[in-house]
Amino acid sequence: MSGGPAVRVSIESSCEKQVQEVALDGTETYVPPLSMSQNLAKLAQRIDFSQGSDSEEDSAEGEPRDREWGKQEQEEEEGTVKFQPSLWPWDSVRNNLRSALTEMCVLYDVLSVVKEKKYMALDPVSQDPTAGKTPQVFQLISKKKSLAIAAQLLLKGGEKLTKSVAENQENRRQRDFNSELLRLRSQWKLRKVGDKILGDLSYRSAGSLFPHHGAFEVIKNTDIDLDKKIPEDYCPLDVLIPSDLDGSAYIKVSIQKQAPDIGDLGTVNLFRRPQKNKGSTQPWHVKLEAAQNVLLCKEIFAQLSREAVQIKSQIPHIVVKNQIISQPFPGLQLSISLCHSTSGEKKSSRASPEKSKPDNHLYVLEHNLHQMMREFHKQQLSSVVMPHPATAPFGHKRLRLAGPLAYDKTEISNLQQSEGLLEKIIKQAKHIFLRSRTARTIDSLASRIEDPQIQAHWSNINDVYESSVKVLITSQGYEQICKSIQLQLNIGVEQIRVVHRDGRVITLSHQEQELQDFLLSQMSQHQVHAVQQLAKVMGWHVLSFSNHVGLGPVESIGNASAVTVASPNGEYAISVRNGPESGCKVLVQFPRSQIKELPKSDIIQDAKWSHLRGPYKEVHWSKMEGRNFVYKMELLMAALTPCP
Amino acid sequence: MEAPPVTVMPVTGGTINMMEYLLQGSVLDQALDSLLHRLRGLCDSMEPETFTDHELVYLLKGQQGNPFILRARRSLSHPNTPWHLRYLGQPEVGDKSRHALVRNCVDVATSHNLPEFLNEMGFRMDHEFVATGHMFRKGAMKIVVSKLSRILVPGNTENTERLSLSCLVELSVLAPAGQDTVSEDMRSLAEQLKPLLHLEKIDPSKQRH
Repeated sequence: MSGGPAVRVSIESSCEKQVQEVALDGTETYVPPLSMSQNLAKLAQRIDFSQGSDSEEDSAEGEPRDREWGKQEQEEEEGTVKFQPSLWPWDSVRNNLRSALTEMCVLYDVLSVVKEKKYMALDPVSQDPTAGKTPQVFQLISKKKSLAIAAQLLLKGGEKLTKSVAENQENRRQRDFNSELLRLRSQWKLRKVGDKILGDLSYRSAGSLFPHHGAFEVIKNTDIDLDKKIPEDYCPLDVLIPSDLDGSAYIKVSIQKQAPDIGDLGTVNLFRRPQKNKGSTQPWHVKLEAAQNVLLCKEIFAQLSREAVQIKSQIPHIVVKNQIISQPFPGLQLSISLCHSTSGEKKSSRASPEKSKPDNHLYVLEHNLHQMMREFHKQQLSSVVMPHPATAPFGHKRLRLAGPLAYDKTEISNLQQSEGLLEKIIKQAKHIFLRSRTARTIDSLASRIEDPQIQAHWSNINDVYESSVKVLITSQGYEQICKSIQLQLNIGVEQIRVVHRDGRVITLSHQEQELQDFLLSQMSQHQVHAVQQLAKVMGWHVLSFSNHVGLGPVESIGNASAVTVASPNGEYAISVRNGPESGCKVLVQFPRSQIKELPKSDIIQDAKWSHLRGPYKEVHWSKMEGRNFVYKMELLMAALTPCP
Repeated sequence: MEAPPVTVMPVTGGTINMMEYLLQGSVLDQALDSLLHRLRGLCDSMEPETFTDHELVYLLKGQQGNPFILRARRSLSHPNTPWHLRYLGQPEVGDKSRHALVRNCVDVATSHNLPEFLNEMGFRMDHEFVATGHMFRKGAMKIVVSKLSRILVPGNTENTERLSLSCLVELSVLAPAGQDTVSEDMRSLAEQLKPLLHLEKIDPSKQRH
C-alpha cells in the first residue's frame, strides 16, 4: 500500500542473551551464549543413564519404578511412554551406551569369575535331556548333512591320491629316457663319445673279423606332441642303425635242377613278412636284433663268396649279384643267396624260379651256416689262441710248435683248417640231397613192388655228413623164416656204403639207378633164399643153391639165383631160378612112375627104379594160388608131400 | 759234398718287418681288481687268462757302444710250450703325433735249450725276473697286466720277491710296418681306461741311467 510517507521500520531480534551485568556507562554485558560443545555438554548432562526406555532390570531401588509409574501416569496423559521428551534426540545414544555398559560389566564379571574362582566358579550345568529335545527328522537331516560334508572331504582327498597315482603310472609307462637307457645298456654295448651315445652291435667282441664297424647311435625321441594322447608304443629312446643294415635279411639255400640259362639269374628277393613285435620287447631291441642279423648274414655271404672265388675246385662256383651257385652233383644246382629286404620296400616278391617250389629252401642248411659262423667266431676267442709266454704273438698253440719241432709242409697243412665255410656247406648239401634221394628210391620201390616187401628203418641220430638206414627185404607172413637179406646203408657225402648181413661191403655211387638195381637184385636173391629157408622148415632137402648162376639168359641187372630142393621122401624136386629181370621159373621133377609113356627098356628090369625122379615139368606160376611167392611155394611143397 | 746253398741276402718279409705298437702304464695293487673288472668288460668276451712267465735278458757286448739285447721268455704255468725269443729294436722316431711307441719286433719260438744256445753264441745273461698276471685281447690288441718279481737266487724261480706294490700294464699290437691306424684303436681303448689307468708311450731310451 503506498500513499503514505515511508515509515522506517526497524526490526530487532529480541535480545535472547541474558544480561549479565550492566556497566555504569550503560553498556550491557551479555552472558556469552554457549558454544556448540558447551551446549552439547549441557544437554548430555541432562541424560539420565539410570533410566532406560526399554530397561527391564529389576533393580531393587524403587526410584526407577517410581519413575516408571510416573511415566505411566504421564503415559495416560500424553500417550507416549517411550522417551523423556527432553531427551528425545539422545535417546538412542543413551540406550546404546547403556547396553554397552551392561555388556561390558557382564563380560568383566564372567571373566573375573573364570579367572579368580574366589567367590564364584563355573560349574557345568547338567543338561536336561528332555529340555533340548529336537525332533528326529531334524536330527536325521543334520546327521546326513554332516556326513555329506565328511564324505565330500574324503572324496576330494581320494581324488587327489588317484590322480597322483595315475600320474605316476603314466610316467612309468612313458618310461623316461634314462630308465630306457639303463635297460638298453643291460643288453647292448654302449659308450659315450663326446655328447653322443654310440653302441656296438657287431660280433667283433665275440670273435668276428668282419671289418664292418657295426656302430649305432642312441637318440632321444622328442617328436612327440604333448597335447595329443601319447601312443601305446611310444618309446622315449630311439636307435639309429647304419643304413646298410636296415631291414631284415636271411640266407636262402636251395637245391634245384640245373637252371637252363645263366642269364635267368637275377637278384633273388624274397620278402618275408616281418615278425610281429611282441608286446614285451622294446622296439629298439627288435631293431637292433634285426640289424645284427643282417650283419651276420652279410658276413656269412662275404665269407662264402670270398671262398668261392679263391678256392679252386673242379667245377668253379659262380658268384652273381647276391647268389652263389655251385654244382654238387651233375645236373644239380645249389644256390646260396642273401635275401635282404630293406624296410622301405613293400612291393611283393618278384616271380622267381624258386617260387614254384616254395619248400625248396633248406632251413637246416641256413641254420648250419649261422652255427658254423658262430663257431668260427668262437675259435678266434678260444684260449688256445692266447700265447704262453705272454709276450708271444697270438696264434694257435699247436702252430707255435711248428718252428721248434721242425714241422714239414704236410704237418703244417694238417694243422691248419683246410675246409672253408663253402666247402662245408656244399658237403652238407650233398649229403642232404643224397639222403633224400635214397629215401625216395627206397620208397618208390616199396610202393611199386609188393612181393617181396622192403622195409627201411632210418636211424634217429645222424651226422651232418653221414646218415644210416637199415633195409630189410621180407615176405609177408614169413618174416621170421626168411630174414636173410638185411642191408645196412651208410649214406655219406658222395657215396653209399652197403654192408650185407653176410659180411659183404659194397660201395655205391650217388647214381640213383645203381641203388635201385642193387635193391632189385637183392629182392630176387631174397626169393631164392626164402625157398631155401622154407625147405628147412618143411623138411625138404636142399640139393643145390647158387646166388649167381651162370646158366640161362643173362640178366642186365645183377645175376639170377637158383635153388633145387627135394621132398622128404625124395620123390619130387623143385627147382627155382629167379632173376631180377627175367622173373622166376619153377620146375618140378616127377618120379618116373608117374610118367604115362615110360619106355620099356631091357636094361632096367627092377621095379624099384621107377621111384627115381625123372623129367621136369614147368609150373605155371602166375596161375598158382597164394598171395606171394613164398606162400605159393609152401603150397606147392605141401601139395607135393603126400600125406602118410 | 757240396754245402747246401745258403743265401747271403738278408731275409726280408715275413715276420722280420713286424712292428710293435706299445703303450704302458701302471696301477697300484688296490686298484688292480677294478682294473681287471673294467678290462673284462671292455675286451673280447672270453675267460680271463692268467700266466706266469720267467724272462731272461741276454746281452751281447760288442766293440761298439750299444750292446745287443735279446729277451728269452718261458712259461712256468705251461712248461711244455716252446720258449720265446724276442728282439726289440729302437723306437721309431716318427711324428710326435703318433700315440704309441713303435719299434721293430722279431718274435721266434724256440726249443727248450735256448739258454745254452745263447751262452754258446756269446750272450751273457744280464738279469732275469718272473712276471705273473692276466692277459686280455681285443681284436688284435693285447693287454697284459703283470706283477714283476725279482729272482733272489739265479735259476731258482720259486724264491721271488715282489719288485713293487704296483702292476705293470702294457697295451701292444703286432702289425706289419706302415699300418698306423692301429694306434688310433689303441688310443681309444686307452681313453676308455682313464682315469683308472693312464697309458702313455714311455720311451725306454730316456729311462736309462
